This record gives sequence, structure tokens and C-alpha cells, in this order.
Amino acid sequence: MSEALAFLLPPFLVAVCLVGIHAYFGIEVLRRKVIFVDLALAQIAALGATAAFMLGHPAQNAATYGYSLAFTLLAAVLLAFTRRWASRVPQEALIGVIYVVAAAAAILLIDQAPQGAEHLKQVLTGNILTSGWNDLAAIVPLYLAIGVLHWILRARLTGDSLAWDFVFYATFGVVVTSSVAIAGVLLVFSFLIIPAAIGVMFADALGRQLAIGWIAGIATSAAALAASFAFDLPTGAAMVCAFGISLAIAGMLYPFLRGDRHRALRVAGATVRWILVAILMGSALQLAAAPRADQPLIDLAEYAVPQLRSLYFTSSEQAAFADAGAYAERYRREAEELNERERRNRTEGETLDDFTVARISSFLKSYGEMRKGEQFVMGEVRARARERVRWIAAGALLLLALLFAPIRWRRIL
Amino acid sequence: MMALRGALIGAFLALASPAFAQERIAVVTTTTDLRSLTEAVGGERVAVVSLVPPTMDAEEYQPKPQDVLRLKNARMLVRVGLDYDLWADRLLTQAGNRAIGRSGPGYVDASYGIAALELRGMSVGPGDGHAHGSGNPHYWLDPKNAEVITATILEALARIDPANAASYEANRAAFLARLQGKIAEWEEKLAPLKGMPIVAYHNSWPYFARRFRLDFVGFIEVKPGVPPSPSHLSGIVRTMKARNVRIVVREPHEPQRDVAFVAGKTGATVVTLAASVGALPQAGDYIALFDANVAALLAAAR
Repeated sequence: MSEALAFLLPPFLVAVCLVGIHAYFGIEVLRRKVIFVDLALAQIAALGATAAFMLGHPAQNAATYGYSLAFTLLAAVLLAFTRRWASRVPQEALIGVIYVVAAAAAILLIDQAPQGAEHLKQVLTGNILTSGWNDLAAIVPLYLAIGVLHWILRARLTGDSLAWDFVFYATFGVVVTSSVAIAGVLLVFSFLIIPAAIGVMFADALGRQLAIGWIAGIATSAAALAASFAFDLPTGAAMVCAFGISLAIAGMLYPFLRGDRHRALRVAGATVRWILVAILMGSALQLAAAPRADQPLIDLAEYAVPQLRSLYFTSSEQAAFADAGAYAERYRREAEELNERERRNRTEGETLDDFTVARISSFLKSYGEMRKGEQFVMGEVRARARERVRWIAAGALLLLALLFAPIRWRRIL
Repeated sequence: MMALRGALIGAFLALASPAFAQERIAVVTTTTDLRSLTEAVGGERVAVVSLVPPTMDAEEYQPKPQDVLRLKNARMLVRVGLDYDLWADRLLTQAGNRAIGRSGPGYVDASYGIAALELRGMSVGPGDGHAHGSGNPHYWLDPKNAEVITATILEALARIDPANAASYEANRAAFLARLQGKIAEWEEKLAPLKGMPIVAYHNSWPYFARRFRLDFVGFIEVKPGVPPSPSHLSGIVRTMKARNVRIVVREPHEPQRDVAFVAGKTGATVVTLAASVGALPQAGDYIALFDANVAALLAAAR
């Protein structure tokens, strides 16, 4: 437990800082309706870093950072103007164009710089898991300074002047450039939009919106980090999905907290039942039309309760299926053992001669082929059994679908 | 005037005649390692270009229009196989050059005859329907495998250009003799590192480890392109502390951050090794590649 804590504490604190500043910028971004501005700014910063790289500056160097910053400030000027240009074309379209052109330009530059591709990838796909105290030391003062600046200038920043628009985009660009390098584009976008959206959903005043966004963002980050440790998942991707889930939960809670609870309950019940009906009817059609193809619902049910197969397998089919399964598993285990023996022998005991290594290699190939054969048998047995029962089973599924359907049968009959 | 014209035509004919212009055989290889080995066999008689820049991850290479042109004009293609350069298949279809297509005389899958290690699961590449597992594709990192690879290359060159088969054979013999001496030298130099536990970012090193008896005990990135989970990373750190791992190996194109993170938690040294010719400036050809890696490992172990 303490080991997990030691591992997850720095990324958690980094996430707290990122949620802190991004929830605020997110609320502002939602208000201005410039949702994808962070992607455009991050991409421009990456373009600057790529240009520096091409000119021979090493990564993580003051000059590289300088190029990034200069490009970001130029982009801020451009972005400040977009609101004025956006009379017939929406501002978001212009932002999208800035994003794709920056991304494409970076690819063109990379073509000239040998190590550019990996570098660009690293700039845009940070890994929050490996962030540490040094990252915190860099971002805490920076975010505090920008936060205080925005607090002092809050009345002006929400106004309509070109200069203050520039200040907004420039400070936002500085934040995004640093956060994307730590957490990656996907996660930063989630930090920006989702806590802010939840805050805006449940409150009107900026202070309360911020408080709700911060609580939701920090709780989600903590849950996602714990889950990624417990279930052995890549951290960044797990966090983005967790933020998506928390937005969905907030969306589902909204009608219960704001509005007629009974009506909300009724609508929710009907929605769940219609979804069930759609899944059951789709599965029935799939089984009837293509019994040999994948049957996601039936496969899932059989995966959870393998005994379900005995409902429609004959006893000889059951025996063949179990037999093939046991052999496939045996081949897998034996191949694994052989692999492990070869690995150990690299350093232990006498080295195997090349002939023995070649024999092991060809044994492994045979095991793979034999295992595939057994898996083929399993698939074939199952497909034939399903073909046999397809009409009855599809009929049963349809009946089940009708039972779930929120239709008032008494009125019809 | 007529005399000048006659002389010019004569000169042109002389230059254009095949006997005069020793045309070199155009060979395309997917990686720089195979280029180096093909040059070792072909010598002066081949002109080899490799497609993937050495500082890039060959498994994620995105071919360029020029590459199609290179394949169109090539008489021989040498690829790594074992699902390492799958993108070459689409490129071959686009180029439509029968001579280097899958059943053509100029098609060389260098993995032919190699004893592949760590075969698991199934190949994803287009094949003959057999379930040949893909295996770990970094087989050129065992210098002994160069014998097999150069034999496959030699066979193809002799098929395309039988007139010069003897000279190719002599080139290969000279190269292997030089390599033999070098392998003995590397084995001797790395002998003190026998069984020393090492952690690498990516599992590129099983063949290298087998030849030089090194013990790679863990990898930071388990599946290519998927960042490590916290429990995996903490497991690596635990292993490194338990087994006192002093060396973390990274390739130049792999992220510095994650490797530095693990090294920082355990006090290990990060060593940048080249898995391909040209990935580091000092790894200029196949033999220099091992010279550079052996030197880097020794420096870190000291």
C-alpha cells in the first residue's frame, strides 16, 4: 500500500495542480466557445519545439523552450484576431484550421530533422505517471502567478478588447505548453473541459462553478489513479476514460438534482429498458442471420457462465469442445515453458548450441500451429451448435426483448 | 563538322554500352542493418538504399512516395520479416515490381533460416495461412545470425547476377572472417558482465543477450506504443532494487522521461544503445554497431 502511495502521490499532486488551473481556463474556454483552442496552442508549441530541434538545439533546452514560447505567443496574436474575423465563419472553424496546419507543418519539418518524429511524439504524449517533484516545482509557481494575474485582471479579461484577448490566449498558451509536456494532449483536454463542464452544469457563479469543477476533477483523478494501479492500466488513458465516465454520471444526475425527480426516474427507466430491447433484438437478428459470426451478447454470457453452453451443445459437442480447450491450453503452457527455459539458459548453465536453439524455435512454431488448430475446432463446434439452434434461440431472445419493452400491453391487447 | 559529330556519337555509344558502364545492382533494404550486410556481400557491385532512417522506430515507419519509386527501380528487396516491417507489403503492392514481389527472384526475407526466439501468438502479417508465430524480430543483434542473413543475401545476389557469384562469395567469406574475430573480441570484453541484471525500455535485446550472456530482467514498455501502468512500473522498480540492477538500456528514439524516472528511483545508470546501424553516430556499420554497444555497456558497468 505504501509503495502504491509513493508511486501515485507525485502524479496525483500534479493532477491536482493541472485540474486547478485548467478548470478555471476551461470555464472561460466554454464561455468563449473556443473548445479546441488548447489543441491548437499545444500543437503550435510543438511546432516551435520541432523548429528548434531542426535548427540543432537539443530537446529540453532553454532555446527549444524559447522557440516554443515564441510560436505560442504568435499563435495567441492570431487567436485574438480570430474573434474579429469570425463573422460568417465560426471562430471554432478558424481554430481547427490553425490546429491542422500546425500539425501538418510539424510533419513537414520533421521530414528534414532525423529525430524529429519521436521528439514530436514525446512533446504531445507526456506521461503523467512518471511526473515527479521537479515537475511540481516548475508548475506550481507558474500556475500560481498566472492564477493571481487573472484574478487581478478578471474584469478586463472577460471584456471584448483585442489586447486583453491576446493576454488571455498568451497565458493560456504558456499553461498548455507546460501541461501537455507533462500529461499529453488527451489528458490535458479532459482536465480543461470536463471539470469545467460539470461546474457549469450545476452552478451559475464563477466561484461555485470552480469549486464543483475542482472537487469533481480531483475526485476523478484520485479514483482513476487508484484504478490504474489496481487494474494494471496505462495511467493517462485510464484517467481520460474516468473523466468521460464522471461527465456521464454528472449528466445522469442532472435531471434528478434539477427538476422533476419522478419524471426523471421514469425517463431513465424507459431509456434503460429501450437500450436492453435494442441489444436483445440486435442479438436475435445477428444469430438468425449469421449464426457462424461473432455473437457479442452470447459470447459475453458464455464467458461469464461457461455452463450456458450445456444448454445447446450435445454431449459429444461438449466433450469435443472441452477436449480441444484443454489441448490448446496445454500447448500454450508447454510453449511458455520452452520460452522460459530458453530465456534462463541465456545466462545460466552451458549455452545451448545453435542447433538446439533452432529446434526450440521450430517446436515453438509447431505449438503455435497446433494451438491454432485446437482453437479452430472449438470455434467450429460452437458455430455448428449455434447454427442448429438459431431459430429457437433467436425467437427466445425476441420474446425476452418484448418482455423488457416499456410498452403498455394492456392498452394494445 | 561531320568528324566532330561522328566522334560525339562514337563517344555516346561507348558510354552507353553495358560493357563500359559497370551498372550496379539497385538493392532496397528496409533497415540500415540489412543495408550494411548487403553491402558487405555485394561490395562495389551493388547500390543499396535503406528506407527507414536509423533514428526512427522501424515498426512505425510511414513510407514516402519516393519509396515507391525506389522499389519500382530496384532489382532486389531485403526485409527483416517476422512482422517487423509489415508496411513493406503495401509498398510492394503499390510498386508493382514483379521481380521483387513475394515470389520474385529479388525478394529476400532475411529472417529465412533464423532461429527465432520468443515465439508467441500468431503472426499478423499476410502469409501462407500457417500459424507461424511472429517471434522477436530483432535477430540481427546476434552477430552470429549475420552468417545466416548474409547467406540468404548471397543466394539472392547469385540468382540475379550469376556472372559475379564468385566475387560475392569471396566478399561474404572475407566479411565473416573479420566478424568472427570481432565476435571473439566482444565476447571476451563482455565476459565480466555475464549474468549482470539489466532493464531495458523495449524488448529489443533477446538475441544480443543470448550471444553475450546478459540478463535482461525486465522491460519498461511491455506492449509497443502503450505507456506502462503504475503497477508494472512499480514492479520494475521493485525488481531493480531486489536484484540490484545498475543499468537501464534505452534506444535513441525511446522516451527519455520514463527511463530517467526508473533510473532516478533506483540510482541506476541509463545507457543509450543502438539497435540499428546509424542510430548512434559511432555505429556507422554492422561491426561498428556492436563495437559501440559493447563500449557503452562496459563504460556503464564500470
